[in-house]
Amino acid sequence: MKLLHLVIWRMSTILVVILTCWAVLFYLAIMEEVNDEVDDSLSDYAESLIIRSLSGEQMPDTSNGSNNQYFLYEVTPEYAASYPNISYRDEMVYITEKGETEPARILMTIFRKEDGGYMELVVYTPTIEKYDLQRAVLGLIVFLYVLLFLMILAVNAWVFHRNMRPLYTLLKWLEDYRLGTKEKALDESLRIVEFRKLNEAANMFSERSEKLYEQQKLFIGNASHEMQTPLAICRNRLEMLMEDETLTEKQLSELMKTHRTLENLTRLNKSLLLLCKIENRQFTDVKSLCLNELLLQYLDDYKEVYAYRHVQVEVHVEECFRLEMSESLATVLLTNLLKNAFVHVTEGGVISLSFTASSFRISNTGDASLDKNRIFERFYKEGKAEGSTGLGLALVDSICKAYHLTLSYTFEDGQHIFSIVS
Amino acid sequence: MKILIVEDDADLREITTRSLEKERYVVSQAPDYKTALRKIEDYDYDCILLDIMLPDGSGLDLLEELHTLGKRTNVIILSAKDSLEDKVKGLDLGADDYLPKPYHLAELHARLKSLFRRNQREGEKKVSYGNVEIIPDHFKVAVGGKELELNRKEYDILLYFMLRSGRLVNKATLAESVWGDHIDQVDNFDFIYAQIKNLRKHLKEAGATVELKAVYGIGYKLVEE
Repeated sequence: MKLLHLVIWRMSTILVVILTCWAVLFYLAIMEEVNDEVDDSLSDYAESLIIRSLSGEQMPDTSNGSNNQYFLYEVTPEYAASYPNISYRDEMVYITEKGETEPARILMTIFRKEDGGYMELVVYTPTIEKYDLQRAVLGLIVFLYVLLFLMILAVNAWVFHRNMRPLYTLLKWLEDYRLGTKEKALDESLRIVEFRKLNEAANMFSERSEKLYEQQKLFIGNASHEMQTPLAICRNRLEMLMEDETLTEKQLSELMKTHRTLENLTRLNKSLLLLCKIENRQFTDVKSLCLNELLLQYLDDYKEVYAYRHVQVEVHVEECFRLEMSESLATVLLTNLLKNAFVHVTEGGVISLSFTASSFRISNTGDASLDKNRIFERFYKEGKAEGSTGLGLALVDSICKAYHLTLSYTFEDGQHIFSIVS
Repeated sequence: MKILIVEDDADLREITTRSLEKERYVVSQAPDYKTALRKIEDYDYDCILLDIMLPDGSGLDLLEELHTLGKRTNVIILSAKDSLEDKVKGLDLGADDYLPKPYHLAELHARLKSLFRRNQREGEKKVSYGNVEIIPDHFKVAVGGKELELNRKEYDILLYFMLRSGRLVNKATLAESVWGDHIDQVDNFDFIYAQIKNLRKHLKEAGATVELKAVYGIGYKLVEE
């Protein structure tokens, strides 16, 4: 749920209650006022009739052309005593002029004549007009109510949108943020204190992690760089030692084992250096390459080297998979995937390679799925991996990232499948 | 053959010197730019192994100095920075070869050998050991003056051993050198054995006086009978 939606939802819930109460009260107040007015005019009319009647003047017609009507008759003192002096009520009345029954507002009053007799005067005015008025008022209130409600929401949404813009900029920035890509810093000159502080904090954190990341990268780079020479010296010394003719076979084979371990270490170091270089974007010799052609150059070597595993290799080339990239990195990418397939394929299994214009897929028969989430991590090794650096697939991953290729791993029908899509 | 090593890393200098001396080269050492400059001014060398990054100067400057002095000395640049830029610059300034540091001593020997071979008079640009000769420029192999047909891999292997005659070459190194860097971490060397077997057969049939000797399953050595 978006913040804006939450705000609007809350706002409208509260407004519905408040505005409804407000509208009801307003309507009641208006109606009260209208009744009051009607009653006032009735009482004025009644008063003038009473004055006329008491002064013995000619009474007007019961219906004098206006919709107002009246009745005047004598009542007993008992009747007069049992009724209030003046009362109002709403009732259906037969209007002689129109010849139909209509709702009317009625005033009843009892007054005493000079001779001591009691007269009751009933004055009524049809309330059709009042109903019209009520309806109009109600309609207006509802219309205004809805309009007001919508406008409040709209204004709110607008204000929210305007004021929260820095928040959305920040969110977008955080979403796009990738460590080591040198994102542009956020604006720190905002007028709103809270947003300025947020931006400052985000900038600070990114700077700090950026710095740490750089340091770490630099450290790995430097360490592996510095290790190169001592490693080579050790290796060379061992080799010189191994040339000694007086060594026994046992001594020589011990030296050989040490040499092999040292070679693995050298290779590991080389891979780490390569990873650093890829991440530092030090390969700029980009050219257009046809990956299938490149791969076929190496395939025969691998077939020869791994002939003892009796692997069957199938190649399907639909079209040339062309990419703009550094040739040496493309070679690293392909040979690592190939090596991986040849090393992990089941004895006598099948490796199949397929190319389309925008993808490369390599699969080999295998026993069980590997951990999808960890397979491209550095130093992730599954089971038997003697002599493996655990960096091969990490290299592949890092090259794919550098060239914005999508690398994926799946396990289907007893096959490990790696695919690269441009 | 006189060789000057200009290298600031004492350990590396020492081991290179020892290894070169074993090959009967006369070796002189210089740990820094100043010493190296004095030595090239005073003496003549057949080859200079030159490190680019020196504590008190750049090897590239030394190369220019050599040029001004008018000395025609072979130079192999040794650089820890395996940057293309250094390599191009060095080769532009008249260096003969470039070997990224850290180097393998066997590789250095091979480079020196092929460097000296290139300096031989025309027609003699060959590598020979026993009665076997290889003319690398023409990919030709001759045993006792008679040409021997080898396939590509067999030829590569033979040349590799000829340039390192008498030295023990282990299988993993051979695989990486002949098949390529991408062939590493192999734990079964049957493919090398298959090629070596064929090569041996060819050499024997042609009556070669050299032999590829297996050393305790570690590797091979090319020896003269």
